[in-house]
Amino acid sequence: MKKIITLLLVLSLAFSLFAGGSAEKNETVKKDIITMAIPVDPDGLDPQLTASASTFQISSNIYETLITVDDKGEIIPALASSWSVSEDGLAITFVLRDGAVFSNGNPCDSLAVKASFDRLTSDISVRRADYSFITSIETPNANTIVFKMDKLNVAALSSFAYPWAAVVDASAENLRNKPVGTGPYVLTSWTAQQDLVLDLNKDYPYEVKNEGVRFVIMPDLTAEITALNAKEVDLILITGDLASAVENKGYNIISVAGNGLQLMAMNSSNKALSDIRVRQAINYAVNKDEVIEAVWWGYGKKIGSHFPVVLKDYVDYSENYSYNPEKAKELLAEAGYANGLTLRMDLPKNYQEYVNAGIVIAQSLKKVGITVDINIVEWAYWLSEVYVGRNYDLTVVGHTGRLDPYALLVKYLSYGNENYFNYANSEVDALLEKYQSELKDSKRSEYVKRIQEILANEVPALYIQDPIQIFVAQSDIFGFKAYPINIYQMKEVYRTK
Amino acid sequence: MLKYALKRLLSSLAVIFFVTLITFFVISVIPGDQAILALGLDATQESLDTLRSSLGLDRPFVVRYFEWLVDAIKLNFGYSAVYGESVVKLIASRLPVTFSLTVFSILIASIFSSLLGLIAALNKGKVSDGIIRTSVLVISSLPSFWVSLIALIVFCGKLNLFPVNGYIAPNESFFGFLRSITLASFILAFGELALMTRMFRSSLVRSLADDYMISCDVKGLKRSRALLHYAARSAIIAPITLIGNQAAKLFGGTVIVETVFSLPGIGRLLLVSVEQHDIALLEGVVLFITLMVVLMNFLTDMSVALADPLIRLSGGEAK
Repeated sequence: MKKIITLLLVLSLAFSLFAGGSAEKNETVKKDIITMAIPVDPDGLDPQLTASASTFQISSNIYETLITVDDKGEIIPALASSWSVSEDGLAITFVLRDGAVFSNGNPCDSLAVKASFDRLTSDISVRRADYSFITSIETPNANTIVFKMDKLNVAALSSFAYPWAAVVDASAENLRNKPVGTGPYVLTSWTAQQDLVLDLNKDYPYEVKNEGVRFVIMPDLTAEITALNAKEVDLILITGDLASAVENKGYNIISVAGNGLQLMAMNSSNKALSDIRVRQAINYAVNKDEVIEAVWWGYGKKIGSHFPVVLKDYVDYSENYSYNPEKAKELLAEAGYANGLTLRMDLPKNYQEYVNAGIVIAQSLKKVGITVDINIVEWAYWLSEVYVGRNYDLTVVGHTGRLDPYALLVKYLSYGNENYFNYANSEVDALLEKYQSELKDSKRSEYVKRIQEILANEVPALYIQDPIQIFVAQSDIFGFKAYPINIYQMKEVYRTK
Repeated sequence: MLKYALKRLLSSLAVIFFVTLITFFVISVIPGDQAILALGLDATQESLDTLRSSLGLDRPFVVRYFEWLVDAIKLNFGYSAVYGESVVKLIASRLPVTFSLTVFSILIASIFSSLLGLIAALNKGKVSDGIIRTSVLVISSLPSFWVSLIALIVFCGKLNLFPVNGYIAPNESFFGFLRSITLASFILAFGELALMTRMFRSSLVRSLADDYMISCDVKGLKRSRALLHYAARSAIIAPITLIGNQAAKLFGGTVIVETVFSLPGIGRLLLVSVEQHDIALLEGVVLFITLMVVLMNFLTDMSVALADPLIRLSGGEAK
């Protein structure tokens, strides 16, 4: 009797859940093609040969990584159905899901995965250095693959979730325009500067909520919005200044703080900028709220250190040097620049928002006696002269976040080769060195928080904001989410009837 | 005539050689290359050096240029670094867009400008002449990105007359094809209108004042016949040359209009190849554009020769 009552209870509960669910979501999924507008072609579809976000946004739908992340940043299974990290942290074992095959019919077994990682660590690969911690790869059986390392690296597991670590068929020719992966879609056609058509991969074992995806390349944002209004596209990504054009029109607007940050770097090898008082003065001189309002129309979260607000160890330092031009003038005078100072600012032309931010900042700096010579340059020039060459005074740029904060903060390692700030602080160096081999989570958070504090005080950069991304979808399009790494998961997107 | 053609061919080859050499040189010396673009913000000196040597970018530019040249002579133009697709295929895929845009816009501009030029010339110095000359100047002076955006918002967005989203191939739907390039063609034509109308007007004004028009009158020829047969015929030479030059310019692509209307033409391909330091693609596109300019010049000379008996009869050397 008791059993029957329990059963009835369970059944009624289940029924009510079911009923509740269907009442709330009185909509049925209509299998259809989803059209998304993107501004530029991907830089090829071989995820190992580029560092471009435009590639990963699309390649993440064609290839799978061993593991991936959900929208909260939690690691979830993908090509690997399970994984384990050895006690000493020096070996990671992945078990592949059964029967995985590449879209060309080749089996995706542990040997194929090994070949893909061998390619990722070879000379042609762009992210080679990021995976140099792997000392050997073993394949005890067709479904199991073990990555071994000789030094503890706490970021090792998460490094398998990034889109560039996707498993590719290393035996296939020309993955740049003929990608072969195990993901939910296959590339059917790609007409450069026109569109990319992805059809369903019949061998993909999990649910895909649409019939395929078409990415149309529309370089002009106004054209994208017009196409959305004309119902020619389902989904677009816009900037804050255009948000008013899509508000209150019944569109589904998905706006979330991204895992990234935007800043104005100050080169510490410049004599004036090596003086902390000058850097502090610059921080006091700029009203960040005004910059965010003017450039991004308020779509951004103000920050005060080199850390995105969405990561778990974030500490709010955004008010550390709140707007105070009088104080800025005092500090400049103290540093010996009472009569003014001239600095050059290099801005990357391809990123209109950074150019605009630079112009607004230059105006504020002028008010405290700092003259800024603005120099707008090509992206390739910026990368080679400003970023790698470190030949600049001021520049505005954005950094996308990683799953592990080390990759973000290593830019401040004094002898590191990503330290384009030319910043040197022995405590930061020591903390970064300890971080890599610290097994305790609580200790690692402590280090990360301390580094944030040091950077917030010594300000090797003017930290502006964590950008908010704004995706706009037709009213019948659901399921699109933003992830802490720069990928789109189109298989979750669906149209309702 | 044959000697003349041969001379033209040799000078064209020299032009092509220098244009591709200079392009190669400039793209090689300006900072930044394919390796650094691929690496982006993850670039470090070490990773750059490795990638450069695996892409062969560490070799001297002269070596790389002559390698390209030797391949190009064998008609092998290589593969685009960005798209992984053969350069010839990429350029060929742009031809329908660029070719139809050029032809349509030149056609539209020619029709409008010859009509307006004729009306203006016949009413020289009167109000209608002034109105025509001012209005074509105003239309052509409007910045094309602005006109394009306004046209896009009004005709595509509000009135829904044309598609926003890119090019439709004629074999897919001929009507769709026409709709997809109409607006862009008109906007490009507007840009040419002032120059062509003025040219047409001034050469008509000149030929109307010529002595042979008086003899037409004396002969008692009908005004319309005199106009079409004599005045227009001699007035057409300067506009033909201009049309040839403008067509050659349009073949080089029209980045702004292509960008706003999401049309995959030569202009955007050129822009991408420069921005991405895609040398094989850049050289291919530059070679194509140079060839087009050379070809258009040749065709213009030939049509002028056909229209102008002085040149035609002297065997094409009287220029």
